[in-house]
Amino acid sequence: MSGEDLTPSVETDAGLISWETWDRIKHTERFIAGTAIVFVLTFSWAITSAPVLSDIFQGYHRLALSMLAWMLLGLSFNLLLGQTGLLSFGHAMFWGGSGYAAALFAIHVHDAPLLIMVAGVSFSVVLGFLAALVLLRLHGVYFAIVTLAIAQTLYRLAREPLEPLTKGINGLRPSFGPLLGVFELGEYHGPLEFLGSGMYVFVGIFFVATVVLIARIRKSPYGLIFKAVQENETRARAIGLNVWRYRFAAFMLSAFIGGLAGTLYFMVTGPGLSSGSVVPERMLWTNSGNLVVMVVLGGLGTIAGPLIGVFFYQWMGNFFNGLEWTIPGLEIVGPVGQYWQLLVALAFTTVVWTYPDGIWGMITDFTGALRDPRSLPEKTMEKIPWLGSGDDTRRGDR
Amino acid sequence: MMALLETEGLTKEFGGLRALDSVDMAVEKGELVSLIGPNGSGKSTLINVITGLLSPTDGHIHYRGQDIVGMSAHEIAQLGLSRTFQTASIFPERTVRENLEIAAHATEEGSFSVNFLRRREDFDGVHARTDDVLEVIELEEEQDTTAESLPYGDKRRLEVAISLATGPDMILMDEPTAGMSPGETDMTVELIEGLQEDRGMTIFLVEHDMDVIFGVSDRIFVLNDGELIADGPPDEIREDPVVREAYLGGEVT
Repeated sequence: MSGEDLTPSVETDAGLISWETWDRIKHTERFIAGTAIVFVLTFSWAITSAPVLSDIFQGYHRLALSMLAWMLLGLSFNLLLGQTGLLSFGHAMFWGGSGYAAALFAIHVHDAPLLIMVAGVSFSVVLGFLAALVLLRLHGVYFAIVTLAIAQTLYRLAREPLEPLTKGINGLRPSFGPLLGVFELGEYHGPLEFLGSGMYVFVGIFFVATVVLIARIRKSPYGLIFKAVQENETRARAIGLNVWRYRFAAFMLSAFIGGLAGTLYFMVTGPGLSSGSVVPERMLWTNSGNLVVMVVLGGLGTIAGPLIGVFFYQWMGNFFNGLEWTIPGLEIVGPVGQYWQLLVALAFTTVVWTYPDGIWGMITDFTGALRDPRSLPEKTMEKIPWLGSGDDTRRGDR
Repeated sequence: MMALLETEGLTKEFGGLRALDSVDMAVEKGELVSLIGPNGSGKSTLINVITGLLSPTDGHIHYRGQDIVGMSAHEIAQLGLSRTFQTASIFPERTVRENLEIAAHATEEGSFSVNFLRRREDFDGVHARTDDVLEVIELEEEQDTTAESLPYGDKRRLEVAISLATGPDMILMDEPTAGMSPGETDMTVELIEGLQEDRGMTIFLVEHDMDVIFGVSDRIFVLNDGELIADGPPDEIREDPVVREAYLGGEVT
């Protein structure tokens, strides 16, 4: 144990900008909320029109919108695998299920955006409830497989048997009215142009609220007890915790946030900014699988990790997919861009092999090295398998 | 007066194997009793059955007069009947303090609570309880250390501390000194005696270390092949010919 661990965190007279200040504020909800707000306010602008950054990211407004929705899905997934230790391989059920509920509600009942949100999220929560009754009897790989099976079943149902309702593979594309009957969700011009659209503000508000909700859950007894259940289920039982109910709670919270993500994604993928779209493929297992890759790549068990993972994955898809460059002499294989998933695979393998805590783990290790330069070689030694036999620190919570 | 913990015809079979064979025993409030027996005699099974990790094939278990057979492990723990494990069963990636807070929450807030929007720092009862246990177990200086980086002896003490943080009336300890150095063993013995004397706790000890057993116990149960073959104060057990033959051999003279 190093001497640093023994020192209690005392007030120091160091300047406003110091590691001590950082340690004190970084986990406060105010800081997290502030960061989320600043992130949302600048994100669309940064990837679409900021100097230098927009050249790197080559983003467009719709990409910013869909990334925010994916990030929420990442947080939903992380609540299970990163926080409670349940591997969901069927998060596409919430992603697409809430989308269909929202679309059908918009078509048959009402076109108010907030009511559509309520419909999508409610469906996701009910779906989560029913799924949990079955799933929480299962452990490990069986849990994962059955989540996958449920999502695939919904995919099939939406494709064929329910075609009269879902329009099969064509999907649904309803449009919706202004927010609260007043605020248009379309493009912004003038001083608010950096935000892009009313829809972006709508999604952004849900994004910030969800991040704050998750930060709060992590600071509540739940955050700690979820981790306890993940790390030692038997011990958790033996001290009097009802493990089933806590798992159930985690699953329901995940379904709730997954429903928010799925409904927002439905709302931002329509032909126009005031219309949505949903297709059966949204419940296909590839979405669930990609989600696992994104979150693990970014870093499990944290708030920043899933967000970074989603961003990195989507950015690679966007950036490389459009790349027309061909390898000289190998024109026959076509442009390099179409192999972007190979590049993702390469990046994923490299990152996860060397840093089991993902990109965020890598970042925190390097900032740790800035504070204490001696820590890096040791940590790197531990984490790179061929340099030494380090412990598996896969589930670190930073 | 009724015993605090009482078993009646307690039987546990695994397939054809009878791990516990009609065990009748009673532990009075405030007693420090020990359970000894050769390896495989069913000691751990008995603890697991009493604490609800295994369900008995037959028989009854009464705790404070209430039949607890069929209750789940967390319900039994909520009654104030706690246990420690043979291995250091802790929450490895949490800090020492968090390990205890988890247990304190389980007691202060029940087996499940729904306030996932309330901050942990606002639970004063939990913090008071945690501080108290940290002091008893002398792990205050390590409270911000990650549990898995503690030395082995401290991990075992943390394991006992987790049980204490649930504020039990009775605690079942499964080989608390196994693998400890003599110094650590002395510390643990002192702790166990302190729990009985200062806190009035009822303690049920499963041990291999004969010095510990004969030093601290008010009464000793001897288990052999799942059957309780003797029950009495240490001096009586030491002289009991059946026990000597089944278990002690020439070890104790």
